[in-house]
Amino acid sequence: MTSEATRSGTSRTGTGLSACIAALLIAHRTGDRDAMASLVRQVAPLLWHVARSFRLDVGSAEDVVQNTLLAFVRHSGEIAEPQAALRWLIVTARREALRSIQLRDRVELVDEAARTMPAPAEDEPERIVLAQATQRVLWRNIAKLSERCRQLLRVIAFAERPDYAALSSALGMPIGSIGPTRGRCLAKLRLLLSADSEWSSS
Amino acid sequence: MTGPGDLGALARLAEELLDDEDGRLLDEIARLYDRIDPMPADLVERIGFTLTLAHMEIELARLTLESRTPVGARGEERARTVTFSSESLTVMVTITPTAHRECRIDGWIAPGAPIRVELRSDRGSRDAIADVDGRFDFAEVSCGLVQLVFHPTPDIEVQLRSPVVTPAVQV
Repeated sequence: MTSEATRSGTSRTGTGLSACIAALLIAHRTGDRDAMASLVRQVAPLLWHVARSFRLDVGSAEDVVQNTLLAFVRHSGEIAEPQAALRWLIVTARREALRSIQLRDRVELVDEAARTMPAPAEDEPERIVLAQATQRVLWRNIAKLSERCRQLLRVIAFAERPDYAALSSALGMPIGSIGPTRGRCLAKLRLLLSADSEWSSS
Repeated sequence: MTGPGDLGALARLAEELLDDEDGRLLDEIARLYDRIDPMPADLVERIGFTLTLAHMEIELARLTLESRTPVGARGEERARTVTFSSESLTVMVTITPTAHRECRIDGWIAPGAPIRVELRSDRGSRDAIADVDGRFDFAEVSCGLVQLVFHPTPDIEVQLRSPVVTPAVQV
């Protein structure tokens, strides 16, 4: 899992997930039987973080990942431009997540039992024991960002630099949210961290 | 903290090109979320069950409720009750450990009807027909990932338009 997260290493200048997904989609179309399974493994963590960034409970987030990938497998022949496949996946995951929220809000009006589902981890940072001081300080400052910024940073953290623009637009964030420039969300986080004495010393 | 000077600094910082420190910070963010909220380790494997049905028209059921109750005098074994819901059906399933690495699955479909139920696992698939009340069971199920498929069955009161598929669950 961690190796997935840090696939790009600290440089983050790989060819990007878009290119990787595109190559696997092309391989799948030309009859490579393992290509779709690799594609699913590559992109699933990113879809998970998209779903959870909408504060869905675990079960609903799993459904979002499943439904998005099922739709992708079914429509993989119709995606004209393989380079756009990653964007297609994120747009679909976002739509599925929003649909899940609508469904939940409707159900909650009549069914209090739905509330017994575990709350998303993001709601309870205090309960999470972060052993490393760096991560505690980082979490404390991420929590000060707007929800939209937290969502954007969480998702792009699992991608590479060439993907940032496509991902932020797929998430419905304005152009210029990130890449090639830093954008406001990352800038804000850097300002917050530089003002946190524990961050500079950690 | 949010004075006009800070806003100027924010705007300037936002317009700069991404640098290595941003890369390191994003790596740290990825590590953080991987730690506090990672994708479940078996999710890809579970989704794989459903993806093999991608060629079929299917109706996906959601896992809507899950609870555990102790069984046996000392309550060391725990039976799980899982409820799946879809537009057409609701299914309550109780999974009870029986022998070493085996369990028994008892299910109840609502609305009740003698629907053909398929149990899919790594080892292949088995069928059962529910009774008129919608009750069905599978004995001696090996531990591992399983998925239930409720098939459209001719000549019964409940007519499904397409197979209803549950997410794969660990038993």
